[in-house]
Amino acid sequence: MNLALHDVRRHVARFLGTAVGVGLLLTVVVAMQGIYAGMVDDATILTRTMHADFWVVQRETRGPFAEASRLDPSVEQRAAAVPGVRRARPYTYQLIQRERGGEVLRLALIGLGWPDDPGDSLPLVKGRPLAQPHGEIIVDASLALDVGASLVLAGERYTVVGLTKDALTSGGDSVAFLSVADSHLVAYDQPPEATILERERVIERLRHTDLGRSQPGLEDLVKDPRWRPPALSAPPLAAVLVEVEPQRAAKVREIIEQWGDVAIYSQVEEETLLLEGVVQRARMQIGLFTAILTLTAITIITMVMYNLTLEKTHDLAILKLIGAPSWRLAGLVLQQAWLLGAIGYAVCYVLGLLFFAHFPRRVVITETISIVAPMATMVVVTVASILGLNHVLRIDPAVALEG
Amino acid sequence: MNEAVVAVGLTKIYGSGPAEVTALADVSLTISSGEVVALLGPSGSGKSTLIKALGLISPAERGEVLFQGRSVVKDGVALTDLAKLRRDHLGFVFQKANLVSFLTARENVEVACQLGGRPDGRKRARELLDYLQVGHREAAFPEQLSGGEQQRVAIARALANEPSLILADEPTAALDSVRSRTVMDLFRKVAHERGAAVLVVTHDHRALDVFDLLYEMEDGRLRLAKHRAASEVPTPTAQ
Repeated sequence: MNLALHDVRRHVARFLGTAVGVGLLLTVVVAMQGIYAGMVDDATILTRTMHADFWVVQRETRGPFAEASRLDPSVEQRAAAVPGVRRARPYTYQLIQRERGGEVLRLALIGLGWPDDPGDSLPLVKGRPLAQPHGEIIVDASLALDVGASLVLAGERYTVVGLTKDALTSGGDSVAFLSVADSHLVAYDQPPEATILERERVIERLRHTDLGRSQPGLEDLVKDPRWRPPALSAPPLAAVLVEVEPQRAAKVREIIEQWGDVAIYSQVEEETLLLEGVVQRARMQIGLFTAILTLTAITIITMVMYNLTLEKTHDLAILKLIGAPSWRLAGLVLQQAWLLGAIGYAVCYVLGLLFFAHFPRRVVITETISIVAPMATMVVVTVASILGLNHVLRIDPAVALEG
Repeated sequence: MNEAVVAVGLTKIYGSGPAEVTALADVSLTISSGEVVALLGPSGSGKSTLIKALGLISPAERGEVLFQGRSVVKDGVALTDLAKLRRDHLGFVFQKANLVSFLTARENVEVACQLGGRPDGRKRARELLDYLQVGHREAAFPEQLSGGEQQRVAIARALANEPSLILADEPTAALDSVRSRTVMDLFRKVAHERGAAVLVVTHDHRALDVFDLLYEMEDGRLRLAKHRAASEVPTPTAQ
């Protein structure tokens, strides 16, 4: 006769209610761990997606994600010319916020070097890479735009040609990929009033320079309404992505490091910069919160287990009195703890499947979490039984005589 | 008759100094198989302490308890596995709430059989419940049983492993006079038919005629109040 199951049978509704409560608690703990894992994954997915061996950025910066990086476009050609470099690609990165359909639309725009890099390496789940240098965009599925939809940026209409999955920034914003030229258009877009004012400032500055005084034709050029300020010089890049022949990676790095205007980071270093810089505090906060929540869950489950045992004191004393060995009563407590843990975890699993996808931040249930969480649950409920087990061992059979 | 249990010089003292209370004062007692013994006395006289000592629940500090001639507790020290001894040789019936609340009537008896290592627990539980005329209530939980039915189930459980001694602590305190009489007759029946020794702590003077021996306790001291001859034994009324 299984005493644990017989006891559960008698109070099945209450036991299930308790198990669901434990399940909700576990859901919160697992969700926090998933959010933590999601934050780490989000922070590094942008760098991993680009499949670069080295990130060349502005000297003495930790760009382009940790801080702004402005590189002269010539770095792309210079890097491509280094022996051992297979490919060098331009890369731009900027965050924009627009309004779309009455809702705030936050986007990280990443410029890809057309035609060398149309986005072949991106994790596309639908559609195709860019097929033309202008007017096409690849967006993350989290934006809820389908292939064929359009997005208006800087007065230009961009057609969605591809969808990625889980391409998010460390802040959880969706990422969109377009050509570097288009990303510059969006970056340097400004209203007509600002253009007029800028033009007047340039003319004013020209008039105070020898060049302006000796070349009056320049003033006419600036007055031309088709003129755009960036046209005077090529807009800067955020980074140049370099792919190398593996056996020559160290030499390539050594050469580029000698250039006075750039810094070079490996893929791993770039990820480290993100994890230890951009998301470090948020990561610590979430990690700390997860630890506190886990301890809270252990405490609550311990008290639940203890109370479940405590309310059976008289029954256990009777069983002890009629000769039930302590190990059998301890088995009752342990089996109920394991049942509670198993049902609780099942509840957590189902709730996770149903709701984690709808969380504002991405919840990533890594392989580690999916293996460790059920095992940890069983360990927690076992540890949580210690108080109850201690109580069982100390029950005096004479308690049964007290009525 | 065989001696089911023998207590020799049991002494138990609670507290110390001015608060010292002598619960058992050099109590000696012999109960033979098939004998039904009553233990009378006012509250606080030491009856429950004696039951606990004989039931191997809370041994006396001094003295010795022998089961079927074998010493099992001496001067407060267990000389054997007391839980096993309780399981194999003792049956308990109490005033009330003495059944495991999450087991049905049958399961309450069956679990005792199982603990005693009987492979036929379910069958025997049904037999005992039928014997005590509560077989029709085997699927009921304790809270669904009347006080009298609960006591019958408790007696069935006490008989599960054919104990040599049944200890009952005020088993009729919560029952009316008719049910009280029935329970007392049941004790007599199981003692005489199954050869168990029965010790009943009671305040109920309505059914004292069923007992073979009457002991009285006062201030921890035990005194034999009545010893009935075999010819005086009434015929049990319970079936």
